[in-house]
Amino acid sequence: MIRRTFLASVAALATLSGAAFAADALRIGVEGAYPPFSFKGSDGTLSGFDIEIANALCAQMQRDCTLVEQEWDGMIPALKARKFDAIVASMSITEERKRQIDFSEKYYKTPARVVASKDAGFEGTVEGLAGKRIGVQRGATHQCYAEKTFPDAEIVLYSTQEEVFRDLILGRIDAQLSDRLIAQESFLSTDEGADYGFLGGDHLDVECYGEGVGIAVRKGDEELRDALSAAITAIRENGTYAEINAKYFPFDIYGERPASADATN
Amino acid sequence: MDLILEYRSQLVAGTIMTIQLALVSLVISLIFGLLGAWGKLSSSRAALRLAGAYTTIVRGVPDLVLILLVFFGGQVTINAVGAATGLWDYVEISKFVAGAATIGVIFGAYFTETFRGAIMAIPRGQIEAGISCGMPKQLIFCHIIWPQMVRYAIPGFTNNWLVQLKTTALVSVIGLQDLVYNAFTAGRSTGQLFTFMAAAFVIYLVLTAISDLALRALDRRYSRGVVRT
Repeated sequence: MIRRTFLASVAALATLSGAAFAADALRIGVEGAYPPFSFKGSDGTLSGFDIEIANALCAQMQRDCTLVEQEWDGMIPALKARKFDAIVASMSITEERKRQIDFSEKYYKTPARVVASKDAGFEGTVEGLAGKRIGVQRGATHQCYAEKTFPDAEIVLYSTQEEVFRDLILGRIDAQLSDRLIAQESFLSTDEGADYGFLGGDHLDVECYGEGVGIAVRKGDEELRDALSAAITAIRENGTYAEINAKYFPFDIYGERPASADATN
Repeated sequence: MDLILEYRSQLVAGTIMTIQLALVSLVISLIFGLLGAWGKLSSSRAALRLAGAYTTIVRGVPDLVLILLVFFGGQVTINAVGAATGLWDYVEISKFVAGAATIGVIFGAYFTETFRGAIMAIPRGQIEAGISCGMPKQLIFCHIIWPQMVRYAIPGFTNNWLVQLKTTALVSVIGLQDLVYNAFTAGRSTGQLFTFMAAAFVIYLVLTAISDLALRALDRRYSRGVVRT
């Protein structure tokens, strides 16, 4: 009799603590192959701007977070299949994606830029790039913008940004369009990128690039979305964001306040 | 080169995962292969049809499509069933289970044909001799069918196994951290993709070379007493 009640109470406590734990736990999908936003060290630990922002937001919201690695192409399907509850992987807020998932407020916004060889011999304008081969990452916002803005150029698609840079060096494409920061950090500042530079200025377009990069959650998960947006504002205000930003970039990558979405840098 | 040494724990972990995945899916595919061959050689119409459908469908769809279907589609289905019946909130399909099971079922279809061909190659007269001596079915299987089936199946088996070992690379698209996934991530994180792809290339060659040696030894053992003309 006593043993049965003891066992019952232990079981009850176990399920209760399990339930409480589950309510607090948050699984966040991250990529791990997009330096400097997310990358893997030699010991397998994830680091990068996205990773640190994710951890900072969890600390702010006081929730137990687990980072779940997911390959980019399967990010949204995995979110919808409930493999995790939020995506912090430099995913741009776009209308097309909003049809499938919801986004929090942006947590950064950087413009796109065209990169080509320093002695390319053509301008980064619509006329200059006519007939040229421009490489972009498939599915990303850059594909939308390139196809829209440079209709006379040949747009070549790749599954990773890494491959775009590879082919630019090999000469299979004449120019590439990608995030300005990524181009700067992963390519132009490396040895291989020494002979390349930006062609033309910033490209900002709300239709293709949306309002910046945000955190994705499942459609209808408003509670989590609002909690994340509030946490983003909080870490902007209490200096945590600035601290993390300074580790990776020499300037504030947040961009303008969300209200003025179309400002140029 | 230094980078590879630096990231060696990642590559080793990925290699171990690849080997585990390959071996587990091999066991599954051998079971399905033997069952499928038995079905295709049986006198029961139903078994014949079922085995035929199995090999046709599984061999007719790209492996990648099947893996994605099982992993994402399966998860969505389980979620839907759980939501509809209210029995569970979220039961996760583990990446390893999804990957190993799918690859196992896929190659089960290929092994079905390998085993079927091997069994059909055994001279029927030997089995008839066994029956006429009054040997029970189990003894016929152990002494006549099995040893010869293995010998005839080895070329096809080697083929399937090597392809299966390399097919495990597909699980990298569902995010399972096998050799290819870890090599890709390390390569992209350091900007040295080519270096890490070369390392993966070498490791796969080593694995297949070891398999080749092992299977050749198996071939020699089961060919004892057979004259090679």
